Amino acid sequence: MNPADLQALLPILIVAGGALLVMLVLSFKRSQTLSSLLTLLSLAAALASIPMAMSADADRIAPLLVIDSFGFFYQGLMLILTMVVTIFAHSYLEKFRMERGEFYILLLLSLVGAIALAQASHFVSLFLGIELLSVSLYIMVGYIFTRAKAIEAAVKYLFLAAVTSAFLLFGMALIYARLGSMDFITIAHLLREHPLDDPYLLAGSVLMFVGIGFKLSVVPFHQWTPDIYQGAPAPVTGYLATVSKIAVMAVTLRFFYSMDLHQQPGIAAALTLIAAASMLVGNLLALFQDNVKRLLAYSSIAHIGYILVAFIAGGERGPEAVTFYLSIYSLALLAAFGVIAYLSPSDRDSDTIDHYRGLFWSRPWIAVAFSIALFSLIGLPLTAGFMGKLFLVSAGIQAEEWLLVIWLAANSAIGLYYYLRIVIAMYQTSDDPQSEDSTAPPFALIIGTVIGLLVLSIVWFGLHPESLNLWIRALSTQP
Amino acid sequence: MNAAIEYWPFGVYVGAVVVVIAGKLLASHFLGERHRERVTGEAYESGILPTGTGRLRFSIKFFLIAILFVIFDLELVFIFAWAVAIHELGWPGFWGLMVFMGILTVGLIYEWRMGSLDWIPRRPANKRSRPSTLSSKPEPTR
Repeated sequence: MNPADLQALLPILIVAGGALLVMLVLSFKRSQTLSSLLTLLSLAAALASIPMAMSADADRIAPLLVIDSFGFFYQGLMLILTMVVTIFAHSYLEKFRMERGEFYILLLLSLVGAIALAQASHFVSLFLGIELLSVSLYIMVGYIFTRAKAIEAAVKYLFLAAVTSAFLLFGMALIYARLGSMDFITIAHLLREHPLDDPYLLAGSVLMFVGIGFKLSVVPFHQWTPDIYQGAPAPVTGYLATVSKIAVMAVTLRFFYSMDLHQQPGIAAALTLIAAASMLVGNLLALFQDNVKRLLAYSSIAHIGYILVAFIAGGERGPEAVTFYLSIYSLALLAAFGVIAYLSPSDRDSDTIDHYRGLFWSRPWIAVAFSIALFSLIGLPLTAGFMGKLFLVSAGIQAEEWLLVIWLAANSAIGLYYYLRIVIAMYQTSDDPQSEDSTAPPFALIIGTVIGLLVLSIVWFGLHPESLNLWIRALSTQP
Repeated sequence: MNAAIEYWPFGVYVGAVVVVIAGKLLASHFLGERHRERVTGEAYESGILPTGTGRLRFSIKFFLIAILFVIFDLELVFIFAWAVAIHELGWPGFWGLMVFMGILTVGLIYEWRMGSLDWIPRRPANKRSRPSTLSSKPEPTR
């Protein structure tokens, strides 16, 4: 571990140090505002350290981590999204009379796992990252422990994540038993000599994908998603749906692309089936939801299915499209969960569609912001979601995955229906006086500004996708 | 056919997993008591009739002390592993361990300030609902 290595690890070290700092300060001064400010500060410092880390003269922290611009792009993305989550959580938790400062320690610790995953190139760092990410999430999901639903969600998440971790570990063990290595690069070399129809390797990669598929909530492993999205506090759901998925997607991209697994016929067929099933099941089940959080949960299953189209396509455009769509999708989804957090009173999250009926007439700005976020999730032109889908489709066409591309287009049409249900409800005149209450949440101005910035960035990237795509192309060409 | 020979230990392992689990379930199914009489459900206390309920309230302190013990006991394992290899690891190992100890010290300070180490509660039980009482002012000890 020489100075150059430490310099390359600066983002991880700063976030980990931030968690310790928040903990230390919390033991002497219990103030939510102070904790969240320190959190924001350490996130900003980590973000600012990325250029410095990139200039470090290191390309590998052997054998656990690999230092490359792909990892740094994902780290930067996750740091920015976590800053937004911190601001939302601060306003959201202000309504509760409970120990609130610890939330930020957990947030920072789980982010350490997430940003380590972006650089993981070894089974050990993959597993450590996923566990660090999830163990903190178990507690964050059940943080509002006075709500029965939150406890239920936390327990469900704990059990299911523990079981799928066992799948992941056993898969790793089988691959290690055959190849004698846990390092992605060495495995990629060894795989050129070994045929993949070897039973150990096949069973191992299938078991590993069960573990990864659970985290990504793709179709046969998706059942936990709606309950946990619904039960968790809105900012945590936002974090779970964006940062946790981005981190797992980043490491999956690196794992599959470093050994060209997505181009092995058997695995490609399985991935295609999973992608098609995720799109269909996610969209169909979202049609029947009256709860906005459950609806977003089911639609997130479909969105991961869309992303898998470009993932399978691979080539030059594949990873680019995956990265672009993930960034855009996360911005829109966080804006949506920000609106839910903004509107939620302290006794429960306002998550049924009825809560949003007539929202435009009582809070026009929030309604417009929510509409634009939903338009981006649908993929309507002029929003970034449209450009994201365009990139996915063009990556699919380049790889001549015609069926998947047509399937994606057909499923997007289903998506139009259920997202528009929320939008239409917001512009109806409400005759229910209950939804008219317009008590602003704590720090309404700050959280409103952040939602506004998210929405503006969605529109900006919709009009000028090249501004983001240049970054992605420069940084993430080599997963 | 060649593969079948090569993978037989794995096959045995998978078979053993199935046999052990099925065996446990079947054995408890056939051997387990299933009759329901008046005193079947009572705890056996060397022939003395048990009195009262088993659902007693224990102080949460016992749980807390157990957790703290596990945490600090496990630290010892890591330090021991370092101490055995102290010459091979040299100064980098030393500073690595110092970082580890620093993190643990922060945890200890946090526990101490949160009052986890106070055996006797300093204030009535409903402190969860009043976070403001955990301010930096030391309260008079009893």
